[in-house]
Amino acid sequence: MSNDPSTSSTAEDHQDTISSTTTTTTTPTITTSASSDHSSSRSKAQSTIQSLSTILPSLPPSLASSSNPSRSLLHDHHTASNISSLLRLPDSGAGDNNLCRWLYDTFQSSDNDLQLVVLRFLPIIAGVYLSRVSLRIPIAGFEAVLLALYAHETTTRASQAITVNVPDLSHPSLYHETKAPIKNNSTGLNLAVISPSLEPYGTVRSTRRARIVGVALELYYSKICEMPVQSKIEFCEFCRVWAGQDGEMYKEMTGSSSGSSSTNKRKEEGGKCEVQEDGNDENKEGGSGKAAVGVGMGRIPLPWELLQPVLRILGHCLLCPNQNKELIDKASKACTSLYARSMHDINPKAILATRSLLRLTNTAAKDDIFDPTEIPKSRVISI
Amino acid sequence: MLTWSSGVKVVMHCKLSVEWIRDRDKGEICEQRAREQIVVNQSMESGEYEEGMEVEFSANGNSMKATEVQAKLDEGNIQEAESSLREGLSLNFEEARALLGKLEYQRGNLEGALRVFDGIDLQAAIERLQPNLAEKTPSKKGRSRSDSQHTVPQHAATLVLDAIYLKAKSLQKLGRLKEAANECNNVLDAVEKIFHQGIPDAQVDGRLQETVSQSVELLPELWKQAGYPQEAISAYRRALLSQWNLDNDCCARIQKGFAVFLLYSGVEAGPPSLGAQVEGSYVPKNNLEEAILLLMILLRKLSLGKTKWDSSLMEHLTFALSLCNQTFVLAKQLEEIMPGVYHRVDRWNSLALCYCGAGQNQEALNLLRKSLHKHERPEELMALLLAAKICSEDSYVAAEGVGYAQRAISNAQGLDEHLKGVGLRLLGLCLGKQAKVSSSDFERSRLQSEALKSLNEAINLEPNNSDLAFELGVHYAEHRNLDTALRYAKKFIDQTGGCLIKGWRLLALVLSAQQRFSEAHVVTDAALDETAKWEQGPLLRLKAKLKISESLPMDAIETYRNLLALVQAQRKSFGPLRISLQVEDDKVNEFEVWHGLSDLYSSLSYWKDAEICLSKARELKQHSAETLHAEGVIFEGQGQIQEALAAYIDCLLLEPCYVPCKILIAALLSKMGSTALPVARSLLSDALRIDPSNRKAWYYLGMIHRDDGRIGDAIDCFQAASMLEESDPIESFSSVL
Repeated sequence: MSNDPSTSSTAEDHQDTISSTTTTTTTPTITTSASSDHSSSRSKAQSTIQSLSTILPSLPPSLASSSNPSRSLLHDHHTASNISSLLRLPDSGAGDNNLCRWLYDTFQSSDNDLQLVVLRFLPIIAGVYLSRVSLRIPIAGFEAVLLALYAHETTTRASQAITVNVPDLSHPSLYHETKAPIKNNSTGLNLAVISPSLEPYGTVRSTRRARIVGVALELYYSKICEMPVQSKIEFCEFCRVWAGQDGEMYKEMTGSSSGSSSTNKRKEEGGKCEVQEDGNDENKEGGSGKAAVGVGMGRIPLPWELLQPVLRILGHCLLCPNQNKELIDKASKACTSLYARSMHDINPKAILATRSLLRLTNTAAKDDIFDPTEIPKSRVISI
Repeated sequence: MLTWSSGVKVVMHCKLSVEWIRDRDKGEICEQRAREQIVVNQSMESGEYEEGMEVEFSANGNSMKATEVQAKLDEGNIQEAESSLREGLSLNFEEARALLGKLEYQRGNLEGALRVFDGIDLQAAIERLQPNLAEKTPSKKGRSRSDSQHTVPQHAATLVLDAIYLKAKSLQKLGRLKEAANECNNVLDAVEKIFHQGIPDAQVDGRLQETVSQSVELLPELWKQAGYPQEAISAYRRALLSQWNLDNDCCARIQKGFAVFLLYSGVEAGPPSLGAQVEGSYVPKNNLEEAILLLMILLRKLSLGKTKWDSSLMEHLTFALSLCNQTFVLAKQLEEIMPGVYHRVDRWNSLALCYCGAGQNQEALNLLRKSLHKHERPEELMALLLAAKICSEDSYVAAEGVGYAQRAISNAQGLDEHLKGVGLRLLGLCLGKQAKVSSSDFERSRLQSEALKSLNEAINLEPNNSDLAFELGVHYAEHRNLDTALRYAKKFIDQTGGCLIKGWRLLALVLSAQQRFSEAHVVTDAALDETAKWEQGPLLRLKAKLKISESLPMDAIETYRNLLALVQAQRKSFGPLRISLQVEDDKVNEFEVWHGLSDLYSSLSYWKDAEICLSKARELKQHSAETLHAEGVIFEGQGQIQEALAAYIDCLLLEPCYVPCKILIAALLSKMGSTALPVARSLLSDALRIDPSNRKAWYYLGMIHRDDGRIGDAIDCFQAASMLEESDPIESFSSVL
């Protein structure tokens, strides 16, 4: 086990400074009560909303009176867009930023529903943060929030790695039998590490930045069912910024496996391809507050530790049940961008994964309405 | 009765299936046809229905037109409709209701269908159908048990289950999904109650089986649509783990549905219940494992021809396995797919991606050579780029890579124009790599300048590509254009926010080459701050070498000591699970540390300590040029010239291109009198051919020229040596790549 005393001590120091500098309106009785019973979580939520009201220009009155204030906060569109636009301001990530402090405190409240509210904004936080790293704009506030998420995930996982035993059909399984005699149980199984074990970090070291954000995204993915669609849409928009490619040229990528035909087709259409700027998107994407100039401004390195959770989230956005049209639209745009980017990086794993997602999206869109559970209509109705 | 028209259909049907097999690779068309085929089959069984056609009821050998009944239903008179049916066809109450419900459902009058079904007490009907427990328990012979199964009145069961199923379907179409799911669940519960042993093969009539299969398939779908993921998961598992006697297609559809749900729903399913687990069999413990297992089973069914081809299965599996870094397993799966499904070039290219993703570049390159052959698809951009990339990492195939990159550049047109910069970048990298093994100086400098030219063109096209900035930095540094190299190294750190150790190392090396040691030091320390303990190895090594350059040997020894502690701790605790990608790249090996330390001691003439360190290094790697070299240096330092020479020569026998030993032998020989000078000279020219920027080689060559009396040549060599010394990095620039 790694035990890095210097980092863990800084972790505590760091948290101390954060909590000591915060000016919360939370009353002490509430912060100390760790009980998770309904009334206390409700009052926790209400005081959180109250402290938010000092930061935001306006809050809908319905929030405080709601029977489940944290849920209402999570799904309140008005408040979310207010917070989002604050997070996109140029100085939003500073260490003394009120909103970051509120997000940090809210997440530390260890109330599940309130933590979801913070996670809901992870796409914007991570998006603005990563695109801003190279711009030398203060980002300590964002880092505090991200570290809180990372620390939470480290504790829940007990620092353990997430692994997958890739099955091998020569062994019988739950869903199939084999005729071959059972060999030694461990043979033939490939152990794949999905997410390596976690070490405690008290500061964001630049070489660990991608990992910390990646783990925060893993946390987001584990709660993704509870996230409002808007949050996922914001995530998809930032994927395009990170990719630094607009991917328009792959919009029409066919689902067929024949690459040459699509290449030829592309050639016929050739010449028309201009990097088109989606003015609407660009304004939103200008995470740094300034309008981002041109495509590729927010491009960041996409190591696997970051790209992998991004792709998992994207897979959900594209192919989860009960889909939202706008989300699919944004997600497939994000996917084309990332496909273009992985072609630029010539990253085989990323090419395979994004290409498959694109093809699947395409076939899903074309899927007809054949329903095997439907009863055929018949002219003669009999028993 | 087989009418003429249905006879024609049978012929068509056969034709369709032949074509279907022929066209398997055109996946979608064949899917479409398979569906047509199903539709054809269904309409053959039940008599065709077309919009506006007159519907009739038929039962007990009688038939009657539905028009009259329909009219009654439209008036809201269910009772009357029911009684006229009962009279006309001599049915009982439930049978009449079932027929009416079906009519209403078929007419799209869902509310009406529900009203009709509500009149039947379905629960009571199910209870009546359950076999009497007293009858069942005493059976001792296997036969009597199957007898008791026969006693289930299948006709009645079909009637009841059909009715509940239609109720569920009606509710589904009305958007009352949760109720629908509950009804559907009732069907399955009823089946389980009625047939204790699971559904016996070939003992159930087709209609009943159809209803059961449809309910099994519908239930998870309903829970999913209703937004109850956990219920959907258990419905899927119930469908797949209990005995429902499903046909292959139905089972495959459910398995696929479940796999897709597991992969994308974002809901963690948790491991299946203990009851479902069989001793010694593989039990998936998370979503990815279960999804991959199901997809693999489905693909196996495909290759056995049990189900029809479905290209999306492979795409789902590709996504899942790429996420797990298991592209090697994916390659094996791709290889198992029957020929004719994918075009061979597509298959080669996908396989190449898989192998390259699994680090088996040679394998990947062989496949790409096939697919890029002039008779296959020589213009496929992705394959060209991948091939060029693989070649750019190996100097022996770099020349081949130049060709691929050039083809990629000329093919990057139209919609693919955005990949032109990638092609140029790879061209630059391949040329640079090729320059390293070129046989003549002229050739080398030509290749190098071409490499720089294409890298510069590439960065004009992609100013935001940080990788390019890094590669340009390294190229300029190797060219000893240190100011430009410095600029790019800084740019790289800015663009990446310092997130990659290699950027810091390049910056420190460039500064050290400029003899700005203290700044190099600051950079190294900053980099150490930005790096977690486990990954500090390469930086500590750099720091130790910086200390040596600054003539602080004691500090260097201290740094080496830290490094050793780190390496040993890593060796102890690095299980397979600890390795993250960046760490693996930057892991310092223990051998290097001992070797470095030994060099340091011998430079201080601490021969004993040097010996000890060297023996440690030798324990880790028995025969290596580095240890023989160090051994020679120690002998030489202690005045044992013959032994030193022997060690150097051994080293060259082991690794004929090992430059430092060539130089040391030449240096020793040059001191042995004029007869040895030509040999020494040829050794040094050889060394300079391999490594033209080696200042020591230039220095000794200068010495030989001087001893031979060629003062002009000697001056040139010394000048080169001193220029190189002023720009010599503490580690070779290529070590950061």
